[in-house]
Amino acid sequence: MAVSFPKCPSSSLPPLQTRNRAWSSPLSAPHQVGDSSKWALLEATKRCHLSVSSATNGGSAVAPVEPSKKVQDSGTKTTPTDHSTKVENGIRPTVFSSNEFQDLKTGPDNSGRESTVSITVVGASGDLAKKKIFPALFALYYEGFLPKHFTIFGYARSKMTDAELREMVSRTLNCRIDQRENCDAKMEEFLKRCFYHSGQYDSEAHFVELDKKLKQHEGSRISNRLYYLSIPPNIFLDVVKCTSLAASSENGWTRVIVEKPFGRDAESSAALTRGLKQYLHEDQIFRIDHYLGKELVENLSVLRFSNLVFEPLWSRQYIRNVQIIFSEDFGTEGRGGYFDSYGIIRDIMQNHLLQIVALFAMETPTSLEAEDIRNEKVKVLRSMKTLEIDDVVIGQYKSHTRGGVVYPGYTDDKTVPNDSLTPTFAAAALFINNARWDGVPFLMKAGKALHTKRAEIRVQFRHVPGNLYKKCFGTDLDRATNELVIRVQPDEAIYLKINNKIPGLGMRLDRSNLNLHYAARYSKEIPCAYERLLLDAIEGERRLFIRSDELDAAWALFTPLLKELEEKHIAPELYPYGSRGPVGAHYLAAKYNVRWGDLGAEH
Amino acid sequence: MIRQRIPTNGRDHFITSASGCHTRYITSGPRNGLIANRSLDRSTIFAFCFGSLDKEDILFTQNSFFTLCSLSLSLSNPTQILAMTILRFYQRPSSLSIAFSSRHEWSFSGSSELVTLTTRRNQCWRFSPLKSSNGSPLAGASWKDDGKEMSVPKVPDIGSQLAENTVSITVVGASGDLAKKKIFPALFALYYEDYLPQHFTVFGYARSKLTDEELRHTISTTLTCRVDKRENCSDKMEQFLRRCFYHSGQYDSEVDFCELDNKLKEKEDGKLANRLFYLSIPPNIFVDVVRGASRSASSPNGWTRFIVEKPFGRDSESSSELTRCLKMYLIEEQIFRIDHYLGKELVENLSVLRFANLVFEPLWSRNYIRNVQLIFSEDFGTEGRGGYFDHYGIIRDIMQNHLLQILALFAMETPVGLDGEDIRNEKVKVLRSMRVLKLDDVVVGQYKGHTKGGKSFPAYTDDPTVPKGSLTPTFAAASLFIDNARWDGVPFLMKAGKALHRRGAEIRVQFRHVPGNLYKRKFGTDLDKATNELVIRVQPNEAIYLKINNKVPGLSMRLDSSNLNLLYSERYPREIPDAYERLLLDAIEGERRLFIRSDELDAAWAIFSPLLRELEEKKVVPELYPYGSRGPVGAHYLAAKYNVRWGDLSDSS
Repeated sequence: MAVSFPKCPSSSLPPLQTRNRAWSSPLSAPHQVGDSSKWALLEATKRCHLSVSSATNGGSAVAPVEPSKKVQDSGTKTTPTDHSTKVENGIRPTVFSSNEFQDLKTGPDNSGRESTVSITVVGASGDLAKKKIFPALFALYYEGFLPKHFTIFGYARSKMTDAELREMVSRTLNCRIDQRENCDAKMEEFLKRCFYHSGQYDSEAHFVELDKKLKQHEGSRISNRLYYLSIPPNIFLDVVKCTSLAASSENGWTRVIVEKPFGRDAESSAALTRGLKQYLHEDQIFRIDHYLGKELVENLSVLRFSNLVFEPLWSRQYIRNVQIIFSEDFGTEGRGGYFDSYGIIRDIMQNHLLQIVALFAMETPTSLEAEDIRNEKVKVLRSMKTLEIDDVVIGQYKSHTRGGVVYPGYTDDKTVPNDSLTPTFAAAALFINNARWDGVPFLMKAGKALHTKRAEIRVQFRHVPGNLYKKCFGTDLDRATNELVIRVQPDEAIYLKINNKIPGLGMRLDRSNLNLHYAARYSKEIPCAYERLLLDAIEGERRLFIRSDELDAAWALFTPLLKELEEKHIAPELYPYGSRGPVGAHYLAAKYNVRWGDLGAEH
Repeated sequence: MIRQRIPTNGRDHFITSASGCHTRYITSGPRNGLIANRSLDRSTIFAFCFGSLDKEDILFTQNSFFTLCSLSLSLSNPTQILAMTILRFYQRPSSLSIAFSSRHEWSFSGSSELVTLTTRRNQCWRFSPLKSSNGSPLAGASWKDDGKEMSVPKVPDIGSQLAENTVSITVVGASGDLAKKKIFPALFALYYEDYLPQHFTVFGYARSKLTDEELRHTISTTLTCRVDKRENCSDKMEQFLRRCFYHSGQYDSEVDFCELDNKLKEKEDGKLANRLFYLSIPPNIFVDVVRGASRSASSPNGWTRFIVEKPFGRDSESSSELTRCLKMYLIEEQIFRIDHYLGKELVENLSVLRFANLVFEPLWSRNYIRNVQLIFSEDFGTEGRGGYFDHYGIIRDIMQNHLLQILALFAMETPVGLDGEDIRNEKVKVLRSMRVLKLDDVVVGQYKGHTKGGKSFPAYTDDPTVPKGSLTPTFAAASLFIDNARWDGVPFLMKAGKALHRRGAEIRVQFRHVPGNLYKRKFGTDLDKATNELVIRVQPNEAIYLKINNKVPGLSMRLDSSNLNLLYSERYPREIPDAYERLLLDAIEGERRLFIRSDELDAAWAIFSPLLRELEEKKVVPELYPYGSRGPVGAHYLAAKYNVRWGDLSDSS
C-alpha cells in the first residue's frame, strides 16, 4: 500500500476512506510515516489513505484534492454559519487555533516525531463511561485502531488510584465475540495505559495537574487530546472552560466530545453552544448522537447513493410515507430522574430520530465529506414544518399485571414525581416542505415500556398506478404496496417487501421479502456505535457528529411544541407497560392515511 | 372480431354475427354458474356463484356502466347456489373480464356480437346454447329492476347443465417419451389436485397396438405424486387410470379418428363434450392428425382444441406453411401452441413482479437497465438422441422460442389487461420492434469430447445418431436489440447451450452504474462491476434476488455486493407445479395467455430466419468447447462487443 503519499493535511481530505490500514498494521503507519518524514501527523490522521486509494486508481476516477490548496483552505473550511460564529467570537485563545493549522504548523517541524493521543474521560466513574466508553476504547485497541501510543485518563471527583480505576474498568471490559485470542494479554496492556486523576470539575488548578500528568505520559510526542464529557449537562461549561484553558494540547489538536442533552429547548441549547464556543471553536466540538454510529444508519447513505435502484424511487413521486420507529421494552426502572426532566421527545425524537430523518431525506451531497453531508442535513431540517401539537400524540405507561408479574407504571418509579406528565411515548407526523418531499408524512414513534425492543425505518411506497393485478389485492390497494424496511436494531436487516405470485396453478399474490439478514450474511459482530464514534473523533471525522447549526435547526422544530405541551399541562394518554402503546398513535397515522408498518399482521 | 364457434346438432358452423334479438348461453361449472344473457337492445349478464358478490369482487377491463343486484336463493339443488348476482350493462361492453371472488376467476370476453366465456384456475369450463333463444322468459324467479320486470332462467336448468359437462383429452402419440414423462403425469397431478372437471376421459392415441390395460400400465409406471401430498395417492391413481383408455390408429386415417370419435362419444355419454387433443408427435404429421381429428373427431356440441408443441417449422416459410395448413382445419382460437417455458413459475411471476410492484416498473427501461441476459444451460449433451436435435440445432430448439418468449414478456409494454389477447398483442409488438439478428451478433459452438477425472465425455459428433460432419450448433450466444423507445440501445444477450458445466435457466438484469456515485472510490476502476443486478432464476432452485451494494459491517467503510433475496424453496415449501400442468389446465380452461399466437410465431421467425439461413448456407463452423466447460470463449467477446459481462460466469453469480 502506497502510504507515502506526501502531503496529507489531517482533516482536509474527504472522509470516506477505509480504515483498514490504520494502526493495525505494524508495517504501515509508524515506519513508513517516518520515511515519508514530513508528516508524522499522518499517523494521527489516517485520512491520508484516502488519497492513497485514489492515487492507486491512477487518480483519474476521482478528482484528487490538490494538497497544497487544501492546506490553505483547511483552517477556514466551515459553513457560512460557522464562519459567522467565529467572527462573532473574534479572538480566541491561540492555543485553540484550528486543528488543521496546528497540524500544518507543527507537522514539518516535528518531522520524525511520533504522535500520541490522550483520551480523558471526564466523569469516569459514571455509568456510561463504565458501560460504553471504556469497553469501546478497549475494542478499538484490540482491533488495532488506536494509535501506537495512547493514554487514557479517567477524571472524576471521587478519590481513586490508578489501580482502582483499572480494577473498575477491567470488570466491564469484554472482548468482541469473534476475536477471543489474546484477550487477557491485550487487556493487560490496555489497562497499563489507563490512569486516573481525581479533581473537581470546575477547578482549573486540578486540570493543570491533569495537564502535567498528561505531558508526562505524552513525552516529547506530538500530543493530541480528546476529552469525553460523560457528565451532567450543567457542568459541561465548567469542564470545557478548565480543559481548554488548562489542559489543551500545545502542539496537537484538542477535541471535546459532548453527549446529549444539548439543552432543553432552542434557547438553552443556543446558550450552551454559545458557552462552548467561548472556549472552543466549532471543529473542536464533537456532539455525539450514538444513533448515527449504528451500522445500518451508516449504511443508509450507502444504500441510497451506491445503488441505482433506490435513488429514482426516493421522492414524493414514489414514496407514500416514511416511518421511523423506536421502541424499548423496559421503562425507567428506578432511574427516571434524568428522564423525567426531559421526556421521550427530547430524549429520542428530537435527536436520534430526527437525525435519521435528515440523513434519509437529504439531497445528494457534493461529496462524502463531513461538511457536505452536514450542509445537506441542515437544509432538510430547515425545510421542515415546525411541529404542531395536533400532529403529536403523547403517552405514558401505567402499571400492568401479566402472568402474575406486576410491571410498574412510570409514576411508580421512585425517582419520578407522582404527578409527572412527562411523556414516555410520543408519535409525531413531520413534513418536509421541499420539492422532493412535499406532502409525504414522516411519522416518528418512540416509546418506553412497549412490547418490543426495536428501531427501524420503514418506507412505504405508493400503490402501482393502474395495477393490472388490482383484483388480486382486495379492496385496499395501499395495503399491498412495496415497503422497504431497514431494521437498525436488534437483528440488523434490510428487506424489501414485494408482491409476487404464490407458486401454483392459481393466480394468487403474496407479499414476500427480498431479504438481507445481517446475521446470516455477515458473521462478524457488528461494532458498537461508540467505537465508531470515538474512532471518528480521534480521526477528526465529523460526518456523524452534529454541527451547531444542525442542532439549532433541530430544536427550532420541536421547541414550540415542547413549550406548548408544558404550558398547557397536556396529559399523556396512558398505556399499559408492555403494550403496543397508546391507540392515539393509530389515529394520528390515520389522519395522514398511513398505517404503522410495525403493528400490522405481518412485519 | 372474435369468432365464436357455436356447434349445433353435431355440425360445426361459425357464427360471425348474431342473429335473432336474443342470444342466450348458459355456462356453468360444478361450483359456479355464469349465465350470459346478451340481448341486442340491452346487455345483461346473470351470474350465479357461491356466496354473494359485491362491487369489489368484480373488475371490468373497460368502463362499463352496470348495476349490481344480489338475490339470495335457497335451493334444494345439489349445486347449492347460494346467491345470484346480476350485472346489467347500460352500454354494450365490447369486452370485459369479471373476477368473482378472489378464489375463482372468470373472464368474459367477446366482440359486440359474440361472446366467449372462459374461466381460469377453476374446474373445467362448459358452454352450451340454450334451446330457447327467442327471449321468452324461462319460468323461474323474477324480480324488479328499474321498474321493469326481468326474467331469470329456470334454476333447475342450471343444475341439470352443471352435471353434464365433460372433457376428453386425447394424447396423440401416447407411446412417445413426452407423453409418458410429462403429459400423463401432469394430467394426473391436475386430477389429484382436483383441477380436472368431475367427469373427464383421457385417451391415448398412437399407431402401436396396445390395450387399455397396457396403456394404463405404461402410465402407472411413470406417474408420481407430488411430494407435498402423498395421502390417497394409490387410490387416486386407481381412479385416474380407470378413466384412461387407448385407441390405436394411423395418424393420417380419418377412419381411425372416426372410430376414436365413437369411443369418445361412448365415454362422454351424452354429456356436453369438450375435446382437447394433445399432439405429441413429430411435426411432419401435425397436419394429418389435425385434419383427421378435426373432421372426424371434433366435439359435436362443445369446444375442440389442439395443443401443438414445437418445432413450429424450421424457418419463416415452413412455419407459415404449417400455420396455413393448420388454419385450413382450425381457427386460431382452437390452436394452442405450447411453449413450456412460459408455464414455468418464475416466468409467470415475471409479469407480477413488474406490474404488481411499484419499485420495479420505474427502472424498467433504457434509462436504468444496461443490459438483459437470458441464459439457458444444460449439463448434458444429446446422449444418443441427437437425431431430432441435429436437424434443428440449439437456436431453433431453445432460443427462437423459449428465450425469445421470455424476452418478449420481459420487455413488453404494460398490457391493457391480463387477458390472453392483451398480453399477446404486447408481445407481438415487442417482437416486431426487434432488429433482425445478424451473423456478427451470434456465436455458435459445439461440444467436443472431454476427459475429466478419468471419465470421458463424448463429443456431439460421437453421438451415433448425429452425422459425423455435423455443423449443428449445440451452443449459441446472440445479442438482440429492440428498437423502440423503451429499449433502444439496450443489448439483450441470449445464451443457450448443451453439455455445459451446469444446468440452469435465468434472467439477469444488469442496471447502469450510479451517476455521480459518491462511493466511486470504493469500487475500483470499473464502476460497471458494482452495479445492481436483478436475477430471476427460473430453474433449478427458483429464486429472485437483487444485488445491492452495502457497507460491510465494521468500523471501516468497505462496500460489498450482497443480495436481497427470495429463495422460493424457503418461502414456499410446497412443490412448484410442473409447467405442463399449468399449460394443460390453461388449455382446458381456454386461457390463451401462455400460448403462442400465429402472428407472434411469425414475428419470432422473422428475427431468426435470415441468420439461420446464412449459417447453413455459409456452413459456419461452430467453435468447439469441451463437454462440461463454460462454453466457447467467443461468447465473452460477443458480450464485450456490447460492453457487457456475462453475469453467470463471474465470481459472485
